[in-house]
Amino acid sequence: MKMNTDRFSLTVDEYLAETNVLIYLNDAVTQLLEHKEEYTQFGVVRYFAEYFTSVKNGNHVLFREFSYIKVTPHNRESFIHTFWKCFRQIGKNGDLLAMSEYSSLLQLLCPDFPTEMVQNAARIVLIEDATDCLMSFSDFIYAFQIQFFYEEFVESVSVIYQDLLSGKSPNTVIVPTSTSVEQISSAASEEPDAQEGVDSSIFCECIEGLCERFKHKFPSTVAIKEILESSQRVSFYGFLMALAKHEGVNQDIGALPNKSDLLIDPEMDQELERL
Amino acid sequence: MAEKHRAGVEIMSDSKSARAAGDEQLLSQSGVSALLRGALLRLLESRPEDPVGFLAEHFAHLSSEAEDGASERQSVSRALWHLSLAHHSHRSAFNNNVRVAYELLTQGVPRRLSAGGVRGRLYSEMLRCLCSEGGLSGSTAAPLLRRVQSHDYESVPFELFRQGVLTCAVFADYIRKSQCLYAAVASAPDRPAERTLCHAVLSTLRDALETADGIDVARYLEASAKISPAKVAQAMAEVQPRAQRHDGPTMDAQEFEDAAAALFIARVRTVT
Repeated sequence: MKMNTDRFSLTVDEYLAETNVLIYLNDAVTQLLEHKEEYTQFGVVRYFAEYFTSVKNGNHVLFREFSYIKVTPHNRESFIHTFWKCFRQIGKNGDLLAMSEYSSLLQLLCPDFPTEMVQNAARIVLIEDATDCLMSFSDFIYAFQIQFFYEEFVESVSVIYQDLLSGKSPNTVIVPTSTSVEQISSAASEEPDAQEGVDSSIFCECIEGLCERFKHKFPSTVAIKEILESSQRVSFYGFLMALAKHEGVNQDIGALPNKSDLLIDPEMDQELERL
Repeated sequence: MAEKHRAGVEIMSDSKSARAAGDEQLLSQSGVSALLRGALLRLLESRPEDPVGFLAEHFAHLSSEAEDGASERQSVSRALWHLSLAHHSHRSAFNNNVRVAYELLTQGVPRRLSAGGVRGRLYSEMLRCLCSEGGLSGSTAAPLLRRVQSHDYESVPFELFRQGVLTCAVFADYIRKSQCLYAAVASAPDRPAERTLCHAVLSTLRDALETADGIDVARYLEASAKISPAKVAQAMAEVQPRAQRHDGPTMDAQEFEDAAAALFIARVRTVT
């Protein structure tokens, strides 16, 4: 959550907006009012100290509602990191799980986590086919990271992709809708050459145009270009899977280690050795 | 389905507005509003790089203060933390932080004793820590501290406190800059620089310091900023040609640093 050095030239509103501080203050007060008993025990000041310390450490998203865990990039990153810490053992055991099982795990940490998002993540791993197939922890978590952290970007890119598939001009104004992902899957099943995907360089141009005016987080354009320059044609899920596997994108988000370090859990190893 | 949902929302919002009124009262009674207002003001004054971390520390300090009262050690480290939030070139933010640090150090002391300001011992301790945190070695900082410190028993008023803190912060920057200048004239990282080159750079430094008149210490740093790489190159060009370079006497990094420090410290008024 580091900022640049010209934070002093921002107006009060700009500084507050950039840091998402008001979101956290609002949430802290709301939570305080909902759990009044806690504050009478420990004192209000202590409550705020603990709230902000847990935000800083990334522990604040555990068991919170979906609308909170997605409200800031830091929250999303913290949630992904927490999910990894809690369940990396699954990866160690080499278990393969179904989409519904991953969904249950996510709902252990966030009771109202929507299954549609888990479905979308599964589609990335399985390239849209047979979403009741089993997935490894490693494949799932990197795809889930892209779907969840860059949710708005993925939605907008799917609209671009659909427009290109249906032959619309790449300069159409992009308006993301929640039904866009469903449209993609129906278009893919109707058109036999949808497997061919779209032309990579046109796709790349459109995405770059999107990023220039995009208000939400998006992967670095360097990474996007790298991926799209590596082949002439690309499919939507192929693109997302490449993003999921891209090490630079993973590091920019900062929630998960490299794939090779994903399953390392020294404390758990110690515990298991004692048994 | 949609209608049920809408009705549900309406019912919620009715009881919600009743609760909201009760909540507001609770917040103002418990002092939460004032607490948050104070925290936001501090935040906007300091504009830290990590606002969430700042708020966590702010509330943590407040709560431990409320619980067991601040020990001296804690006060000094908290004051130092506040001073680290903004660079001295961001003048108003820095001054705000100095004010907060000053108040932290005069807290917990009976009114009659704190009337004059911060106790000399605490003030000297602060300056010492400030210098070491700024990367200055004890020997480099010592001559400066001798000039700006005050006696343990004395009381340091705010303006003097501010000047002392600013001087140390600027001095730390100045020494860092001198170290860079030395590195620029040294022909290789592991070999000491030519003595004549060092003298040339030092005299450019002295000239720059001399052109900054007036007692505002920070102007000295602005003056030394006039030593651009071009000026160093000019100084080097005026010195002996390359052929004789390797044979002449050298000056090592520490000697250069001490000489540069002396130029600065000579212009700092001793506190009486």
